[in-house]
Amino acid sequence: MIRLLRIARREYLAYVKTFGFWLSMAMVPISIALFGVGPTLIAKNTPPPLIAVIDLTGQGYGPAVEKAFDKPPAVQGEWKPTGIVAPSPVPAEGASAAIGQKLKPWLLGERTLPGGGKLGVAAVIHPAAGGQVSVDFWSSNLSQLSAKKTVNDAVDERFQRLKLKAAGLDDKAIASLDEGAPDMTDFSPKSEAEGKTSLRDRLPGIVGFALAMLLWMLIFTGAGLLLNSVIEEKSSRILEVLLSSASVPEIMFGKILGIAGIALTVLAVWIGLAGAGLAWKQPQLAADIASVIMSKGLVFYFAFYLVGGYMMYASIFTAVGAFCETTREAQTLLGPIMMLLAVPIVFMTQAITNPDAPILEILSWVPLFTPFLMTARAAVEPPLWEVAGTGALMMATVALVVWVAGRAFRAGALSTGKVDLKGLVQKLRRAD
Amino acid sequence: MDAALSLSGVTKRYGDFTAVNDLSFTAERGRILGFLGPNGAGKTSTLRMVLGLMAPTAGKIQVLGEDDARKVRARIGFLPEERGLYKRMTPVEAIAFLGSLKGLSTGEARKRARRLLDEQGLGEAANRQIRALSKGMAQKVQLLSAIVHEPELVILDEPFSGLDPVNQQTLESLIRNLARRGATVVFSTHVMQHAERLCDHVVLMANGRKAFDGSVAEARAKAPRALVIEGAVRAEDVAALPGVTTVTAEPAEAGALRLTAALADGASGQEALKAAFLKGLDIVRFELKEPTLHDAFIVLTGGESSDIQASASGAAQ
Repeated sequence: MIRLLRIARREYLAYVKTFGFWLSMAMVPISIALFGVGPTLIAKNTPPPLIAVIDLTGQGYGPAVEKAFDKPPAVQGEWKPTGIVAPSPVPAEGASAAIGQKLKPWLLGERTLPGGGKLGVAAVIHPAAGGQVSVDFWSSNLSQLSAKKTVNDAVDERFQRLKLKAAGLDDKAIASLDEGAPDMTDFSPKSEAEGKTSLRDRLPGIVGFALAMLLWMLIFTGAGLLLNSVIEEKSSRILEVLLSSASVPEIMFGKILGIAGIALTVLAVWIGLAGAGLAWKQPQLAADIASVIMSKGLVFYFAFYLVGGYMMYASIFTAVGAFCETTREAQTLLGPIMMLLAVPIVFMTQAITNPDAPILEILSWVPLFTPFLMTARAAVEPPLWEVAGTGALMMATVALVVWVAGRAFRAGALSTGKVDLKGLVQKLRRAD
Repeated sequence: MDAALSLSGVTKRYGDFTAVNDLSFTAERGRILGFLGPNGAGKTSTLRMVLGLMAPTAGKIQVLGEDDARKVRARIGFLPEERGLYKRMTPVEAIAFLGSLKGLSTGEARKRARRLLDEQGLGEAANRQIRALSKGMAQKVQLLSAIVHEPELVILDEPFSGLDPVNQQTLESLIRNLARRGATVVFSTHVMQHAERLCDHVVLMANGRKAFDGSVAEARAKAPRALVIEGAVRAEDVAALPGVTTVTAEPAEAGALRLTAALADGASGQEALKAAFLKGLDIVRFELKEPTLHDAFIVLTGGESSDIQASASGAAQ
């Protein structure tokens, strides 16, 4: 046992003592933060485009569009205009196509507006056949989608109002149409608050999925680290020395434990950072997530399936690593397993919307998928017999995989030369 | 004398290939045993079976009184043929780690590691990463990690390979010191010179079979002594001398010939020389050459020794 712990300690320190480990661990939250905050920051710091509205209809579309750019949306929150209306440098005369051509120097930045700004967008509203209205939306930046939507919505609303007015409705009646939107409330028999559902009721599904994804990442990060570690030891001939100093289970489980320590360190740091960030920015949401994790037994699911899943995949990767001297060799042998790994990812997303889907129930019985799918489905509290049955099958598979992996590890550690899948099976059968 | 290691009828087969065939020998405690043979003779397979890294197909192995070396791991030190260490560890860390796996406490292992490194002149490199060390230094570090726990049985698989002559000498004295301390040393090599200088006992292997088992002197006695004669002489004249069995000729300096005449068992080199002078042969140099272990190996294996080396220089290259 002491040898196992010493091997685990060496394995753990070999990673945590490196700068690269802390850098790669920090990269994940930094990347998430950048992806989450980056677009908002960019949008916040990018000035809205100057927009010229040229109305050739004479039916009040121009003022309606201009008003829409000044009006905050109905939903609350920080509002930023999608464009700032500027006086048009081209008079509203002639055909729409000709006006567009005239606007080009301003749109290309060759000429500036009287106030000194660059024209970003121009909307030329003109009559179309059959009493319709068309808009020529000019922009040197084709991704000005927000401004385009504002123009489109304003023209659409104005068109409807004019039609309704023409049909005989007065302004008061038209305004009352906006107030007629139905007030819809979600109810669920599983909800605690008189059947009314809230974000808190949807949280278990989301948290279950998030935990399953975290489990997937941890297991495969850990298994990948193990694979690299064993390949390094195999290629640098350390494995043979280790085998003369400790038993196969001591080496295998020592390494598995050491890397598990790494995975748990990463988990603790990530959870700590995420928890602190959430508690700071969204304390109520943080409290709700903590409550869901504790009350729905998600902690149990996560811990149980982390142990089972990690042991299963770590053993496979360790055994395969013992046959390989390069990662390329390992990739050849692990090809089929890597393809299988994509399956839970596809179905885990389904578990958020439809955790009781028959396909999910069936796949939960496949031991290689059990850890991920059962964690993702934990929110709907599957029947106990299903939890016990899939869990028992998974643990039996873990025991079998560990036993086979032990034999393979010994055979692989002493093997030389390249090994393909067929050769691996042969060596495994001859292992003693 | 008490045996540290004993093999009895050990055979190892890989499918249809027999790597080791019915091998028996004993290594006595406190002695140095050379396990000799060309590459592919079955030495590494035998040592792996001795260490319990793989099971024999047939036969029995006793190590330090146990039927399985894995029961006495902590009393064995092992240096494998192909060497390697954790490149990002320092020598102290590497030696201490492997020592700790052999039962030493971490503190004691580090203390011993520092002492051994100082003794071997590696004190300055003690805290440098192994990847920054020369190959010779790294090999020394690995050897020290195999003996840091002061094992009773030290198994070294081709310990001299890759070492320069100076480091080979250092290693020889280290092996002698181990035996002086009471450890049994079993080392495999295909360089006969090391075995000749170090071993009390040699086991010669060829094609998975034992070709000889005994002392170095006994092994040498299996090969004929030879009379080397240089001068303006003919091979027929030398072959006619008393006690000479075969003669091989090769050119020597100044157009002369160097003739090596193998002597029959019990034949006297003096008698042959006397006869040569009486015949009036034109001899400029002569030498009575005692057989080497290499000569013995050639005889014992019937010449199946293409990659067996007589001198250490070959190994160092």
